[in-house]
Amino acid sequence: MTISARSAKPFLLIAPAAVLLGVFLVLPYINIGIMSFRNPGNGSPYAPGFTTGNYLRLFSDSFYLVQVGNTLMIGAITTLACLVLGFPVAWQLARSQMRFRGLAYGLVLSPLLVGIVIRSYGWTILLGNNGMINRTLINMGLIDRPLALMYNSLGIVIALVHVFLPFMILPLMSAIQGIDPSIEAAARSLGAGRVTAFRRIVLPLAMPGIQAGCILVFVLSLSAYVTPSLIGGLRVKTMAVSVVDALIDTFQWPFGSAMALLLSLTGALVVLIFARLTRMKWKAN
Amino acid sequence: MSKPLLTGYCLIIYAFLLLPILVVVGASFNAGAFLTFPPQGLSFRWYVVFFNNDVFMRAIRTSLWVAAVSTIISGVIGTMAAMFYIQHSGRWKESVRLAMLLPLLLPEVLTAISLLFFVYSIGIGTKTIAAMIIGHVLITLPFVFINVSAAMESYDPSWSLAARSLGAGPFTRFRRIMLPLIKPGVIGGCLFAFIISFDIFTISFMLKNIGTATLPIQLYDYLRTNFTPEAAAVSTVSIVLTLAVVIISEKVLGLRIHRF
Amino acid sequence: MTEVSIEGLTKDYGSSLAVNGISVKIADGEFISLLGPSGCGKTTTLKMIAGFEEATAGAIRFDGQDVVNVPAEKRDIGMVFQNYALFPHMTVAQNLAFGLEMRRVSRSDIATRTARVLEMVQLSGYADRYPRQLSGGQQQRVALARALVIEPRILLLDEPLANLDAKLREEMRVFIRDLQKRVGITTVYVTHDQAEAMTMSDRVVVMFGGRIAQHGAPADIYERPVTREVAQFVGQVNILEGRVVSAAADDRMAVETVLGQFAVRGIPAAASGTVTLALRPEAVELAGPGTDGTQATVSASYYSGSLVDYRLTLDNGQTINVQTFPRNRWSAGDRVTIKVDGDRFWPLGASA
Repeated sequence: MTISARSAKPFLLIAPAAVLLGVFLVLPYINIGIMSFRNPGNGSPYAPGFTTGNYLRLFSDSFYLVQVGNTLMIGAITTLACLVLGFPVAWQLARSQMRFRGLAYGLVLSPLLVGIVIRSYGWTILLGNNGMINRTLINMGLIDRPLALMYNSLGIVIALVHVFLPFMILPLMSAIQGIDPSIEAAARSLGAGRVTAFRRIVLPLAMPGIQAGCILVFVLSLSAYVTPSLIGGLRVKTMAVSVVDALIDTFQWPFGSAMALLLSLTGALVVLIFARLTRMKWKAN
Repeated sequence: MSKPLLTGYCLIIYAFLLLPILVVVGASFNAGAFLTFPPQGLSFRWYVVFFNNDVFMRAIRTSLWVAAVSTIISGVIGTMAAMFYIQHSGRWKESVRLAMLLPLLLPEVLTAISLLFFVYSIGIGTKTIAAMIIGHVLITLPFVFINVSAAMESYDPSWSLAARSLGAGPFTRFRRIMLPLIKPGVIGGCLFAFIISFDIFTISFMLKNIGTATLPIQLYDYLRTNFTPEAAAVSTVSIVLTLAVVIISEKVLGLRIHRF
Repeated sequence: MTEVSIEGLTKDYGSSLAVNGISVKIADGEFISLLGPSGCGKTTTLKMIAGFEEATAGAIRFDGQDVVNVPAEKRDIGMVFQNYALFPHMTVAQNLAFGLEMRRVSRSDIATRTARVLEMVQLSGYADRYPRQLSGGQQQRVALARALVIEPRILLLDEPLANLDAKLREEMRVFIRDLQKRVGITTVYVTHDQAEAMTMSDRVVVMFGGRIAQHGAPADIYERPVTREVAQFVGQVNILEGRVVSAAADDRMAVETVLGQFAVRGIPAAASGTVTLALRPEAVELAGPGTDGTQATVSASYYSGSLVDYRLTLDNGQTINVQTFPRNRWSAGDRVTIKVDGDRFWPLGASA
């Protein structure tokens, strides 16, 4: 359907969104790209002139490279854990006709409705040296000294899995819902066992959902700030935490920009490799 | 996996999802001065402390205000964009969708930093609350867009044509025909935008200024140095506020909110 | 009421020419059908008359006044959509009132006019129902009522019966035609169903590829189609090659065909060589074997109650389709004699 030129011009409908995204999203991203090549300032956020020094500093300092590696590792483990933990839940939500399906769906969604600060706070209560888990175990006499659950990568991963699990389950669920159960039944009738039917039929068909969920969780994990900051404390820092600290505390804008871009670009690279490996066409969301 | 085994497994996952939230709510009734376990009796004392704490009360007001303003702006812009997307985007449909979801697909921390530098370089800065509202509109826009365009998918364009043939101009068509029919999507999208804006952290954290701290920021600052159950009371009130919005939307308005 | 005149109407989508310079005049109170396969431009033509599509070139006149630059909402047309397009959030009465409200009709007049039209479409008791509470046929009548209650200059119907089941569709044909005659409104009806177009219309406009292939009374279109395409679209037809032998009496030409030599009307006197002839299956009569006429073998028969269709194979291998009343029944393998009246042949021009 085309609308005649006499009635309201349709592009006016998209104009406000286009201006908003263009001015306050695209331009700032271009700006941060430029910023990462600025000279560091002394007393001011940056100085005139351009340099590649910010990137050179990142690549020459093993501290930052190790941090990037750690962040990617935490992201990858979180993603994998979400996939493995979330798949059966997504399966049950998509396939079962149980009475409490609505409630179960609500349970999966509910963490999304609670702010990330609060959820991370909940984990500090649970995981701390004096936290609920350690106290319970000690009181039960199972351990003598508190287990190190917080202020390390393990704690960060546990909390991140909790925070991002719904983002894995939801796309998986819609992908599984899109698979006609009779296709699986057909495979079984042709002699495929449960495992074969799953591997040859269900898994390939669910792949777009798996891919979407994995990419989403991985990207979100890399840029997560609150959870690593509260759970990791000062001891374990992810890249996102370092970036924000560099900007907020020390006002190193050009260096912080380079760090943020390096993290984002490595993340994007990993996502691309992942998409290539899973042999799917890149389709956002 | 056999059926009971699968059900059991899922119950464990649901418990895992709920656990930290329940723990926070439980801790808020702790009578002790610290987050000890097991709790030292039940009490509402931390709620009293919270309600008398000006810093937190101001933060709640700021959060509500920022969320309300951002929701109205995203609601209007996102609804217009969804109308364009469904009815006029033609062969640009996929591109429009991708562009509208961009704020959701880009890392929030990078968006926040970019925006921080940008508002400084164009002179808006963070002295006023404008920068924070821009950031919240950016992040909440995709949620309005997703919900409204989902509702628009089931809007039959021939309804508009029928209204035209009966003599209705563009504004009347929107007000009398389209708006009533896509209302569930608009309201659902706006409620979701409100919740996201109320809970969002990173964007607010980068774009805040003295006196413009939202509740999540205030809570985060508090948590870095304090361990009293007051934070749990604050969190519980925040959860209850959000839950109220969801329950109103689900039960009273009978809506299904589309997150994706 | 209104006379509609369309002149050289064209719609160019850039990549394709949906409507290619069509001209047609519709008399006041006339019921005209635009008939053709999907993609022939009939719906685009209707949309241009309605004002939903802008014409690339040409004129649309209502009573001599060009409306091409008048927006749809000001053209004063009544339109019935294929899916009815009833407003789902409004009751039947509110749907009907909508157009009247746009025309600033007073509240009391709205009530009387709505009630009158609802009675006309036999839905008096349904004013407070919502569309989803009505059957397909009832929704159809509400759509008709909503278009008529504003007393438009012309009524446009876009395949309005396509979503109904077969029996209801036949009832609605009669219903719509009777209503249209009673109201006396100029009507343009778009359909791909030839039976619908034939039974309802004063005149049928057959369209192919954005052009008018033929227009005329239903009987003209059916009995004297100008091209093979038209002949095949408006019903079953046997296409036979014939050779002009000589002139015959009364402007007829003698033509030699596989079924024998016939005096055929409608062939220009100057014609010579081969002509293509159309022969409707029901124009052929069958008799037992050995009588005077062309001999053939029944290769299949299809009984459908009031009629029987036969597929016959001539001795030269050619196939002829025949439709008769089931008085005499033949079955596959029977020998039969074909009898045809020369007046039932009609020459076809080259396809456009």
